[in-house]
Amino acid sequence: MAETATKEFLHNLHELPQTVKDSCFRLGKEPESEREESQATFHNLFLHIHSVRVHVRTLKPTLTFGLGLAATASFLITLITGVLLMVYYKPSTDLAYQSIKDIHFTVSTGRFIRNIHRWASQLMVLVVLLHMARVFFTASYKKPREFNWLVGLGLLVITLALSFTGYLLPWDQLAYWAITIGSNIANSPRELTDAIGITKFVDPGGFQKRLLLGANYVGQDALIRFYVLHVFVLPLALVTLLGVHFWRIRKDGGLAKPEDPPGGLAEWGGERRPVFQPLATKTYGLMALVKGKRPPVNRGPENTVMSWPHLFWAELSVFMVTVAVTLILAFYSDAPLKELANAAIPENPAKAPWYFLGLQELVSYSAFMGGMLIPMIVLVGLALIPFLDRRPGGEGTWFGTSHERSVFWQSLFFACAVTVGMLAFTVNYGWLRNWFPNIQQLWIIVINPGSLFVLIFAAWSLFILKRKNSVRLAAVSLFTCFLVGFTLLTYFATVHRGPNWHFYWWPSQWPAH
Amino acid sequence: MKDPSRIYRWLLLVASVVTVVYLVGAAVRENYLAQWRTVQQEYRNILREKATDDRGRELLAKFRVEMKQASIPALGTVDRCVTCHNGVDDPRMADVEQPHRTHPGHILDKHPVDRFGCTVCHHGQGAALMFREAKADDVFWDYPLFPPEMTESTCVTCHDAEKLPPDQIPLLTVGMRLYREKSCGSCHKLGGRGGALGPALDNEGAKTKHQLIMTNLRPPHTTWAWHNAHFRDPGGVVPDSLMRNPTVTRQEALALTTFMLSQWKRDVPESYLAPDKIEQKYRALHPTPLTGEQVYRQYCTACHGNGTYTRWDKKFSRFIPAIRGVSLISTATREYLQANIEQGRPGTQMPAWGPHAGGLLREEITGVIEYLRAGALAPPAMTALTLHGDGSNGLSLFLRNCGGCHGMNGRGGMAPEIGNPVFQQAAADEFILRTIRNGRIGTAMPAFQRTEAPAFSDQDTADVLAYLRTLGEAKSQKAMSQNATSGTPSGGKP
Repeated sequence: MAETATKEFLHNLHELPQTVKDSCFRLGKEPESEREESQATFHNLFLHIHSVRVHVRTLKPTLTFGLGLAATASFLITLITGVLLMVYYKPSTDLAYQSIKDIHFTVSTGRFIRNIHRWASQLMVLVVLLHMARVFFTASYKKPREFNWLVGLGLLVITLALSFTGYLLPWDQLAYWAITIGSNIANSPRELTDAIGITKFVDPGGFQKRLLLGANYVGQDALIRFYVLHVFVLPLALVTLLGVHFWRIRKDGGLAKPEDPPGGLAEWGGERRPVFQPLATKTYGLMALVKGKRPPVNRGPENTVMSWPHLFWAELSVFMVTVAVTLILAFYSDAPLKELANAAIPENPAKAPWYFLGLQELVSYSAFMGGMLIPMIVLVGLALIPFLDRRPGGEGTWFGTSHERSVFWQSLFFACAVTVGMLAFTVNYGWLRNWFPNIQQLWIIVINPGSLFVLIFAAWSLFILKRKNSVRLAAVSLFTCFLVGFTLLTYFATVHRGPNWHFYWWPSQWPAH
Repeated sequence: MKDPSRIYRWLLLVASVVTVVYLVGAAVRENYLAQWRTVQQEYRNILREKATDDRGRELLAKFRVEMKQASIPALGTVDRCVTCHNGVDDPRMADVEQPHRTHPGHILDKHPVDRFGCTVCHHGQGAALMFREAKADDVFWDYPLFPPEMTESTCVTCHDAEKLPPDQIPLLTVGMRLYREKSCGSCHKLGGRGGALGPALDNEGAKTKHQLIMTNLRPPHTTWAWHNAHFRDPGGVVPDSLMRNPTVTRQEALALTTFMLSQWKRDVPESYLAPDKIEQKYRALHPTPLTGEQVYRQYCTACHGNGTYTRWDKKFSRFIPAIRGVSLISTATREYLQANIEQGRPGTQMPAWGPHAGGLLREEITGVIEYLRAGALAPPAMTALTLHGDGSNGLSLFLRNCGGCHGMNGRGGMAPEIGNPVFQQAAADEFILRTIRNGRIGTAMPAFQRTEAPAFSDQDTADVLAYLRTLGEAKSQKAMSQNATSGTPSGGKP
C-alpha cells in the first residue's frame, strides 16, 4: 500500500506542469468548436463583458476606427506609466520639480516612461474627442443608446480633468502659470457678479477658485489636491464610468451598426452556411424566464461571428497600434519641462494646455462667457442631442440619413468662414472696449465674439432645421460648427497668439524677452 | 464570408514589431548608449594607458562605470558633473582632452568637489547627465554654465574680493576698479550707496534672462551677453536709456560684466564663508568713510565731470551745473552745499545723497563739501541790498531774460530748476543776488550786471529776486497740499 501511494505521489509530481495548466485554463487548448470559442469568452473574468458573438459589420475598421478602444488603450498606458512615475514623484512644492528632473536624468529609462505618460495622455484627450465625433456622425446616440452618450460625456469631462490635474504636478513655469489661468477661469463668474455689483453677497467665482486651489493662490495646497485627484479620485471615477460605458454597450445590443438587408448578408453574396452544428449537449442554459422586452438580438445569426478570435484580434491590434504610436512619439520627442515655478516671473504668454486653448481665446474676450457659460452651453447642448433627435434611422453608418454629407460640408465651410472672419475682425479692429473705452462690462459679457459664435451657429442650425425639415440635420450642422470652431480656435490660440495675447503670424516673430 | 479579422491580425503583427523595436531601441538608447556611459568608457581606456605605477593601477581597478554625483545638502545642490568629468581631480590628466582633463589651476586643492560640488562656482544644471542640459544655455534653466573666464564672479559668494590675490581674479579686480573709476555710483546703488537714476545693482547676478530686456540683442540670450552689450552700448540695448556710454574696451566690458555677475546676495552656510568674508560683513556695519575726493570721483563724476565747467547732457537735454566752478563755490555757503547734497533736487536728476537716501555718511558729505570748496575765493564785497523788489516787474524781466533757460515758473529746462523747493530753502538772498549780478564763470549763466554794459539795474535784480521767492512759496504750498511728492526724481524729466 505504501508503494502505491509513493507511486501516486511521484506520478502527480511528474504531471505537475500539465495539472497546473489545466487548473488555470479550463479548456487547456485552442478552442476548436464554436462552443469552445464561446466558452473562452463567457467563462473568462476579463473577457466576459464582451458578447459571445459580434455582428460582422461592427468589425469593419472604417465604422469606428477603433477610437473608443484607442482611448481605453491610451488610458491603460497612462495608468501603467503613471504608477511607475508615482514611485519617484514627490508631491511637495520643494521636491516635485527636482523629482521630475531625477526621473528624467537618473532613473533607468525614466525619461522614456515620462515621455510615454505625457504623450499617451495627450493622445487620450485627442482620441476621446474624435470618438465623440465618430459616435455623433454615425448617429450612434439614438435610442436605446442615449444614456451611454451621457456616460461618454461624463468620461470626456473626467478625461479633461485628469489631464488638467496632471499638468500641474511637474511644478514648473508651464504648469504653474497654466493652472493659474485655469483657476482664474474658475474665478470668472466674478466678472458677472462684479458687473452687477453682488460679489459681496454672492461669490460663486471665488468659491470655485478656492475649492480648486485650497487657497487663494497656487501653492502646496493646490499641488496636493491636484495630486490626489489625479492619481486616485479621477482614475477611480473614470474606471467606474468606463465599466458602465462598456456594460451599456452590451445591454444596448452591441455597437451601433448599419441595417442589414432584409434577406441577411447572404443576399449580398456572402456565403450561406449553417451556423449551429447539432451537438449532443445544449449550447446554452436557460437562466430565468421573465416578462419584459427581449434583448435586441434581432438580427440573423449568419451576420454574426464569434468574438473569439475575431473581436479580440481587432481589440488587440488597436491596443498595439496605440502603444506603437505612443512609443514612437515618446522616443523622438521629450515631454516639456521649463524652469522651476516662480511666482515672480510670469510666463508671457501663459497658455493653458492645448485642449483648453480654444477656451482661453474665448476667455480673452470675456472671462465669464468664455470660461463658464459657453462650456456649460456646449455640454448641455451635447447632452441634449439624443433627446432632441429621436427619429430612428441611419444609425451605424457615417452620414446615414440623406443630405447629411452635404449639410456637413456646408456647415464646415460656413463655420470656417464665420470663425476666421470673426477672428480677423477682432485682430484688426479690436472689440467694444477699443471703441467705447468706458462701456459697462455687462455689454461685453453679453456681446463678444464667443457669444456671437454661439448665436450665429445656433441661427444656422435653426435655418437648417427649417430648410431641410430634419432635426438630425440641424444637429449635424450645429455639431459640425462646434467642431470647426473648437479646432480653429485651438489652432489660432496655439500658433497666432504671443506675448500679451497679441496677434502674431508666427511664433518666430514674438519679441525676445 | 471572408475572414473579418484578417486585417487586424496584420495590423497587430506590424504594430507589435514596431513596439518591440522601439522598446528595445529605447532601452538601449537610454541605458547603454547614454552619453555619460560612453564618456566613462573612454576614460577607463585612458586610465588603462596611464596605469604605469601602483597608484595608477589601483585607480584603474577601483574605477566603475556608473552615475557619480556630489550631493551637498548644505548648499542644496546635487552635482553630477563628475559623471563625465572623471579626471577633474587627477593631476595626471592635465594633457588629456575634455571632458577628462584635470581642473585648471590649484582651485581644487582648497575647494574639493565632495565639499563644494561644481555648480556653486560654475553654475549650470548640476543634476543633468547630458552635456547640453548641463550647459543649459538653450534649455529652460535659470543659471546656465558660465563661460570659463567669468567663473571668478562667484568667488565673492564666500570671499572678500579685495583680499583675494589679484592674479586669481583678474577680471573681477579690473571690474571693481572700473566701477569706481567710471563713477557708476552716480546713478546706480550698490550696498545702499549711490544714485537713483538707474536700478540698484545689488542682486544683478541673481537675475535670470527673463528679467532682462533681450529685444535688441542677437542670440545667445544670456545674462552675460546682455551685460556685455549693455556696457558697450547702453542706449542700444535698453530703449530710452539715460545711461551715458562708458566707452570701455572689449576686455573692460568683460571685466565689468564679471563684476556685475558677482553681485548676488546668496545664502551659503557660515562654514563655507572665508574668514575675510565674515570680516567684510562686520566691516559693512561700521564702514570707514571715504575721503571727499574719493566720494566725488565715485559718485559725482558721471554727471558733473570734474565740476569746473558746465556740461551739456544730450540725454537729459540740459546743462549740468558746475559744482566746483569758481563762481559757485565762492558764493555758496557750506550749509547751501550740504542741503543740496543731502536732499538733492527732488523732481530732477539730482538725487538725495544723505545717509537715508544715497547712503553717504555724514563725514563723507562733509568731506566732499570741503573737496568742492577747495580753491574757493573770497567773494568780492557787495553793496547791501536795500531796495524793495517788485514781483510783477520781476516776472516780466524773468520771462524775457531767464525763462528761456530756466523754464516757465522756474521749473528748469536747460538750466537748473530754481523753483525747486530745496534750492529755494537752501539759497540765501545774497547767493542769488551775487549769481544774477556776476554770473558763473565757465558756465552759460551770464552776468546781468556786468560793469561795462549791465543788462539789469540794482532795482531789476531786486525785482527778479522777489519774483523768484514767490516761486518758492507757490511750490512749497503746492508741495504741502499735494502731500509732498518730492524725493524721487523721474529719469528724463527736464
